[in-house]
Amino acid sequence: MKRKTSRWRPFEGLAWLAAILCVAGIVHLVTIFALPRLAPYSAYARIAAQLTTGTLTLLPAIEPGREILPYEDPAVVLAACTFDLLRGPARLRGQLTPDAPMMMSFHGQFGQTFYAMTDRSALRGRVEVVIATRAQLDDIEVHDAEDELPQELRLEAPARQGFILLRALAERPSLMDEARGRLSSLTCENERADGSGRALVGKFGAQGALALSHD
Amino acid sequence: MKLFLQIMVTALAGAALGLAATHFMVSRGLSFDRVMAGPWRAMPQVPATGGDPYARAAIARSGQAPLGVAEGLAFTAVIDSDGATLDAACDYRVSGAVPPTRFWTLTVTDADGKLVASAARQVRRAGFTSSEILRDGVGGFQIVLAREARAGNWLPLAQPGSFMLALRLYDSPHSLQAGVLDAAEMPTIVVERCP
Repeated sequence: MKRKTSRWRPFEGLAWLAAILCVAGIVHLVTIFALPRLAPYSAYARIAAQLTTGTLTLLPAIEPGREILPYEDPAVVLAACTFDLLRGPARLRGQLTPDAPMMMSFHGQFGQTFYAMTDRSALRGRVEVVIATRAQLDDIEVHDAEDELPQELRLEAPARQGFILLRALAERPSLMDEARGRLSSLTCENERADGSGRALVGKFGAQGALALSHD
Repeated sequence: MKLFLQIMVTALAGAALGLAATHFMVSRGLSFDRVMAGPWRAMPQVPATGGDPYARAAIARSGQAPLGVAEGLAFTAVIDSDGATLDAACDYRVSGAVPPTRFWTLTVTDADGKLVASAARQVRRAGFTSSEILRDGVGGFQIVLAREARAGNWLPLAQPGSFMLALRLYDSPHSLQAGVLDAAEMPTIVVERCP
């Protein structure tokens, strides 16, 4: 850097250095906070590229060179389902196999893990989860029967889009097919916002099959 | 004109420095709340809001879908218990304790967390689950990592160079929120033989 006068040289140099550090700090913070929204190969982008919104899909076996997500366990069979709440609330439901480890996590599109649970927290072996925006949840609550508790777990999503990731653990390689079967007994729906979602809430909410608690 | 140039240089140098710092932190997966126990480093977990912004950025860049708090914990190790980088040319023995958990798995991957392809053998074991391993009389276990086949719990190492171990505890009552994990509760990774 060039300086004008010899008298101010040390001070001036320090001032410019401080300015550089200031700019560096701001750029660093802005990029760190912006990365979750800008990263092109986020988990959501990788999964959304593979499947249709609102359909639970088995991901290919975790083998060298074919992994869709990094850092996944080859002893696990993955299934995922993306949702877009603009279409309406999303719903995961189905029957779980007793004592067979299944992990479920709910992710927003910008890398937020907004809920997670395992098969152990499902009551009577059933899982029924609704993911919705605050406004959609309010709408669902208005139509709740007054004298009974909701029979489903309701989650408020932190982002409009996101995905549900299911991990079925195969304790031995020979149990891989069994793990795939367990995932296939679950379904995912992302209803269109045309009122049919409300009907579904009434229909399935009345089964009284499940209540979930966060452990 | 001189002042303008000085401002431009300052802005460019600052931006370059800031981006370099971001790249350094994120590509190394560095964050402030990372839990260490011996050679093991906990994989980051992020809640819906808040949490460590560095962990969040690293997760978004790598494209991983981390285990949720209720699902379990994942640890990785790129060094042995003496602090030396894991090298596939050496043989290692993983033994000792595993924190209480419903199931655990131990997996060998390359330094980027990807499974290693095998050229010759079509069936190559990449990891063990807690149900598969052979245990001694008192419930302890030893897993040998080596390029040549061994009796007992053997995980093959393929290509020469560095590698990574991943230990996943599924449905574990342990929580990273507590901050610290005792290294004595985690398995040790000890070099058996190095050429």
